[in-house]
Amino acid sequence: MIDLFFSPFLDYIFLRRALMACFALALGCGPVGVLLVLRRMSLMGDALAHALLPGAALGFLIGGLSLPAMGLGGFLVGFLVALLAGAISRFTILNEDASFAGFYLISLAIGVLIVSTQGNQVDLMHILFGTILAVDSMSLLIVASITSFTLFVLALIYRPLLIECFDPGFLRVIGGRGSLYHSLFLILVALNLVAAFQALGTLMALGMMMLPAVSSRLWARHVWSLFLLSSFFAVISGYFGLLLSYHLEWPSGPSIILVAGVIYGVSLLMAPFGTLKQQQGVAA
Amino acid sequence: MRTFLLLLLFSLPSFAKPLVVTSFSILGDMVHEIGQDKIDVKTLVGPNQDCHIFEPRPQDAKELERADLVVVNGLGFEGWMDRLVDASGFKGTVLVATTGVRPLRSTLQGHTFIDPHAWHSLKNAATYVDNIVNGLSTLMPGEAAFFKAQGKAYTQSLKALEKDVSQKLASIPVEKRKVMTGHAAFGYLGREFDIAFYSPVGMSTEAEPSAKTVASLIQKVRAENIRAVFIENISNPRLIEQIAQETGTHVGGVLYSDALSPPGTEADTYLKMMRFNLSSLIKGMGEGDTSSKQSP
Amino acid sequence: MEPSPSSLWGRLTKKHPTIHSTLQGPISIDIQHLSVKYPDNPVISDLACHFEAPELWAIAGPNGAGKSTLLKTLLGLQKFKEGKITFRGFCPCDVAYLTQQNQLDRRFPLTVGDTIAMGLFREVGIFRRYTKAQRNKMQDALEQVGLASFAKTPLQALSGGQFQRVLFARLILQDAPVIFLDEPFTGVDGRTIEDLMSLLHRWVKEGRLVLAVLHDLDLAREHFPKMLLLARHFYKAGPTKKVLTKEHMREAVAASRQWENTGGTP
Repeated sequence: MIDLFFSPFLDYIFLRRALMACFALALGCGPVGVLLVLRRMSLMGDALAHALLPGAALGFLIGGLSLPAMGLGGFLVGFLVALLAGAISRFTILNEDASFAGFYLISLAIGVLIVSTQGNQVDLMHILFGTILAVDSMSLLIVASITSFTLFVLALIYRPLLIECFDPGFLRVIGGRGSLYHSLFLILVALNLVAAFQALGTLMALGMMMLPAVSSRLWARHVWSLFLLSSFFAVISGYFGLLLSYHLEWPSGPSIILVAGVIYGVSLLMAPFGTLKQQQGVAA
Repeated sequence: MRTFLLLLLFSLPSFAKPLVVTSFSILGDMVHEIGQDKIDVKTLVGPNQDCHIFEPRPQDAKELERADLVVVNGLGFEGWMDRLVDASGFKGTVLVATTGVRPLRSTLQGHTFIDPHAWHSLKNAATYVDNIVNGLSTLMPGEAAFFKAQGKAYTQSLKALEKDVSQKLASIPVEKRKVMTGHAAFGYLGREFDIAFYSPVGMSTEAEPSAKTVASLIQKVRAENIRAVFIENISNPRLIEQIAQETGTHVGGVLYSDALSPPGTEADTYLKMMRFNLSSLIKGMGEGDTSSKQSP
Repeated sequence: MEPSPSSLWGRLTKKHPTIHSTLQGPISIDIQHLSVKYPDNPVISDLACHFEAPELWAIAGPNGAGKSTLLKTLLGLQKFKEGKITFRGFCPCDVAYLTQQNQLDRRFPLTVGDTIAMGLFREVGIFRRYTKAQRNKMQDALEQVGLASFAKTPLQALSGGQFQRVLFARLILQDAPVIFLDEPFTGVDGRTIEDLMSLLHRWVKEGRLVLAVLHDLDLAREHFPKMLLLARHFYKAGPTKKVLTKEHMREAVAASRQWENTGGTP
């Protein structure tokens, strides 16, 4: 029993670090993921991962294969793209998802252009996107700091952010500076994603952000419950995913996402707002 | 008059030197050493670049189309080459440098893979040279004698290096010949010089490691007291650094696995690369003689 | 020298008219020569009207005739081409505005209590806690709309009518001098309409100005003393009895049809 569930973490530093990184990531990405789902921006994470390529490429051009340079570049461009998309959606007929799609594709193309014409075929993304088994102290520190910052900001702007998600028109009329909170939220998304990419790779970061959030929606009806549940699911996914990777020799990132996926599948079937219960006509 | 000029224009290329396109920098260097200024050499995957994840561009296809001879490693190293040849419409000869090489097979998690990194064995390099000499001679029969002479000289250098390395290695007992690297690129080197290489990732840089593999590696490093840990020029060093940290070893330096270093640096030709790698390895393994300390 | 509006530079540098507001005087909205155009689509043409508190106005007219647009323009959510809008005694941010219901996500994970609390946002700010007095106000608002025990109920669990009541409770908490309602009774059951209508009357009695865009002309005739009948360039404003005549209705329909037939050219 102990051997199955606890020994690996007790024996190896890298696994303990991986678990800590999962935990930190879960705390930050849980709420952010829930908010993304509520705002119908679920695919933004994936698009953002591609959008930040030119930033990373520029960072690489300026600072070489330095993680801080590429990470910072990636974050700045990712955030810029998200901001532009939001602005465009406010001033034109396009919805946010459509304008974001337009911008991230342009951004990705520019990124590929920069990478290709600079002649370097080292996969920049391989350098920028890590693996959870190689979380060093610096990455852990970055992830933990960003999580703390995220939770702090969310606690601060929780009220207006929620209003902006639910009824942006209302906020606009009472002069509530909705676009400010929206931009802050986008900064948090971009930050969390970039930090997570650096430490854990694209698949893991996005998976940890979206799958637990979507699953939590099937269980709870209050925003706080969604936040907590989402983070909880993310931690569970990390824990059991790492165990699977250890005992069954599966690659770590996909294992964790698989566990998150199983949680989602089970939620679909068993949760109060999943399919079976709905069909049985249980009152919502 | 115009027709005559056009004909002249189109026949001009045939006066130029033949163009040999090679897949990556190590082959490019070898072909250059043998062909010298009789041919033009162009390389698709340059120094410090990763052939496993290379994505060809339109200009690569264009170059291929103009080529008179294409030289590839084979053994599955260039997964993208077949499609590129198709796309470019190149109809000439594709010379596989590893023809006649005894491939190394390894088993990972029940599957058998062929290791493409054959150039890390100096004996294999001699085979590469022979194949290249034959290929170039077929392309330019008039210069066959020149190519043979170059090939012979080069093979002499290879033999000299091999002798030198074997002497130095002799002082290191077999139990100490254990090295950890980024990905499993040095199998042939290991086989030739009786060195055991360990790595968290298999033969392609694209793979993602499992927790078990990393844990086993850590156990191995501790149990067998592997002192020599190296990162590579083309891949993410973090995983190796993590393992090094947890086991209390430290990274002994960089090894050049799949590409040369940029011109003007320590490993910009194949010979320099092999010499550099081997001396780093010998130094790293040799340091295992000092008193060991186990990490917690 | 004003650059000619038809040139690109002209269009970029032309200043757009804004809403003037002064906090002095009795609460009123004055509209002069208002024109609002979507590209090539003159939704409102040369409208003049005066609203003053305490009054209860119905804004009615054929579909697409500019009713919602008028509210949005008054709130600054929609730019206008020409005209002058003057607010006296309040500013646009003091207006409590109820949008058409279909724009909100009723499955959003909020409780009734959370939703109505938004009405107090300007008072309570970003992170202050709600005081006891504010909590009492919230409970009172719920009672006024007949949802006294619903504070902890999730929005998901509400019917259409109940959801509308929640939005009204939010309006109550905003305690605004001017209230705009955009089709507040669409898709709502008769009983709820009655209850909410009495709220409107109560607000006017409390001295507020209430404008409601309506579809139901019978409701307008029965409950709303003042009416603005709007059909693009045709409008009539005044006491409902005088405005809502067969003649005017015919003219309104004709005006909106005329636009449809001529494809936009007045």
